[in-house]
Amino acid sequence: MSDTSTAITPADVGVFTRDQVEMLTARKLETDWLREQRMRAHAVFADTPMPSTRLEDWRYTDIKKLLRLDAFSFAEERVPVGDAEGLLAGLRARVDEAGEASARLAQVDASVVLRELPDDLAAQGVIFTSLEAAAREHPELVQKHFGTAVTPDDGKFAALSSAFWTGGAFLYVPKDVQVEVPFRVYRWIGEGGTAALGRLLVVAEAGARVAVVEELGSDDLGKAALSVGAAEIFADDSAVVVYTQVQRYGRGVVHLATDRLVAGRDAKITTLYTSVGADVSRADVQCRLVAPGSHVDMLGLYIADGTQHFDNQTLQDHVAPHASSNLLFKGALNDTGRSVFRGLIRVHPKAQRTDAYQTNRNLILSDGARADSLPNLEIQADDVRCSHAATVGQLDEEEVFYLLSRGIPKPQAVRLVVFGFFGEVLEQLPLEGVRQELLRVVERKLAPSL
Amino acid sequence: MAEPLLKITNLHAEIAEDGTEILKGVDLQLNAGEIHAIMGPNGSGKSTLSKVISGHPAYEVTDGDILLRGESVLDMQPDERARAGVFLAFQYPVEIPGVSVANLMRTALNAKRGEEVDIFDFQEELEGRMAMLEMDPAFAQRSVNDGFSGGEKKRNEILQLAMLEPTLAVMDETDSGLDIDALKIVTAGINKIKAERQDMAVLLITHYQRMLNYITPDRVHVMVDGRIIRSGGAELALELEERGYDWVREEVSA
Ligand SMILES: Nc1ncnc2c1ncn2[C@@H]1O[C@H](COP(=O)(O)OP(=O)(O)OP(=O)(O)O)[C@@H](O)[C@H]1O
Ligand SMILES: [Mg+2]
Repeated sequence: MSDTSTAITPADVGVFTRDQVEMLTARKLETDWLREQRMRAHAVFADTPMPSTRLEDWRYTDIKKLLRLDAFSFAEERVPVGDAEGLLAGLRARVDEAGEASARLAQVDASVVLRELPDDLAAQGVIFTSLEAAAREHPELVQKHFGTAVTPDDGKFAALSSAFWTGGAFLYVPKDVQVEVPFRVYRWIGEGGTAALGRLLVVAEAGARVAVVEELGSDDLGKAALSVGAAEIFADDSAVVVYTQVQRYGRGVVHLATDRLVAGRDAKITTLYTSVGADVSRADVQCRLVAPGSHVDMLGLYIADGTQHFDNQTLQDHVAPHASSNLLFKGALNDTGRSVFRGLIRVHPKAQRTDAYQTNRNLILSDGARADSLPNLEIQADDVRCSHAATVGQLDEEEVFYLLSRGIPKPQAVRLVVFGFFGEVLEQLPLEGVRQELLRVVERKLAPSL
Repeated sequence: MAEPLLKITNLHAEIAEDGTEILKGVDLQLNAGEIHAIMGPNGSGKSTLSKVISGHPAYEVTDGDILLRGESVLDMQPDERARAGVFLAFQYPVEIPGVSVANLMRTALNAKRGEEVDIFDFQEELEGRMAMLEMDPAFAQRSVNDGFSGGEKKRNEILQLAMLEPTLAVMDETDSGLDIDALKIVTAGINKIKAERQDMAVLLITHYQRMLNYITPDRVHVMVDGRIIRSGGAELALELEERGYDWVREEVSA
């Protein structure tokens, strides 16, 4: 980290003290390695100043201004509910409107309150439970992966997550087990003024096939809330993983995610990050292609209106030769909404025969909106095919006129064009049902603002 | 006599951005049910006229008027004009990625009728119209004009015309880019629509007599340098084909 200041002000820490880690890990009766992992993470967290805009990756997101860590108390622990009927109304509505699910897990505030896993999946060796429970019940499995892809060194908020996460979701799919219908994970913030730190760990063994849809939500909150997330997704040899995150928080939420994907030999990972909610939402997503034949598709879709601020930081990290990755992030900015996209394709010296592409396109829908797009390449191998493209543009007036000339009123015409703009992203998601759900999310987001 | 469907008087229009005048006093009158053709050299302002009728924001009307059934449309937005019965088949239809032909048509019909069209009726009608124009039904699910060939784009325009049932259809070089078989299919389609809807007026912009072999115009107008400098019957098109535009220019200035 290039920022050398190490002075810690109370605002840097808030409730997130070392004592709090001790209390948390003691209360959860955690094993030594987990306790130590938390303590190490806390040390890094405490030593790392709040990122300033002098740091390249925080240049356009003045997080010091947007977030005061001393403003939050810890999200409360919640008691489990018997079934989806028992969930908070807002969350229940999300669960109800979702399409089919292989299994469901819901975290409210600090706790996983609902977990449903059909017997036939359990019988095949699928594990789908809270990360807390998994750490107790499957310690080797968890220890082997957890905290290896997201480490405290991934930044202040990754360290914060690793020190203070609670609840969490763990999905393990054994070798050659293939589940077509998505697993659904919900994270819900029930109260303003709190910090919720969920976590996700997905392990797909060789030849496994799995899809996960994670939905982040809350009502509109009168008081700011903090959501800190970290996902680790491992696709072993020839595994196929689809991960979709739908960030639909209400207003008042600041969401900070640090996600890492690791693709093994001939593995295929597809991710889609959809951001429509929260006041501030930042996703730092990196994929690592660690073996030949691996392929990652990283998709993103964001729509900011009002004063929303979205920030996507991506890395396509090509470690191994003969791997490929393809990134497409598209955003629409209305009112005084803002977005930042900073993407890097990094090709290591040994990663010959890499195919890596990166595209970010932004649609500015009003004079006050702004998008900053910073694509980048760092290539240390010579036999590669890489490209990046970035655009920030207005709505095409000819497209809108064409629709008007068919009698479609202006707001609807604009909506159609914007909708069409996102089609290119959605059509790449290999989950037809989820694609339809996301179309509705986009439609609903566009409806009042345009 | 009944009110003309379209009456354009002394229409002047310029490019809004830089004030270049393109239309320099156009006069034109179309009665319901009539077919008129406009011919004229490249750059004379034919497409500009068609877009000004539709209300394209790139142009500003500085003088004159456009009356639809006696009412000025100048204060109407393009979508209002369309719902009032004006349809423009574009010379260069734009591509709209991610918006399917079916979605466009359904949205447009809903807007026109002010209520949700029945999805089954809609489907049936769309399929019927596509069959009439010998279009592959798969086109309904493709993005509007996205990757369409020149001829497919033109067919798609006429498909929309057939679905939207305008009272005034302006067709800007619908024949260009069509091979001879496609031209026959498309003009047969137009004639069929016209037969179903006797009152629909058609303003055909074309460079070639060949389209007029299939659709017989009541009147032919010649547009040169932003004005209609001569009008006549169907035979005028034949004469133009034979003698070129210079002949009209000379005759007018003489
Ligand atoms: N939006 C615009 N911006 C700049 N110039 C324009 C614009 N629209 C029209 N023009 C110019 O106005 C003139 C008339 O153009 P228009 O397209 O109306 O001609 P046309 O008669 O349809 O020609 P063609 O037979 O080639 O289709 C041309 O010189 C054209 O370049
Ligand atoms: Mg033209």
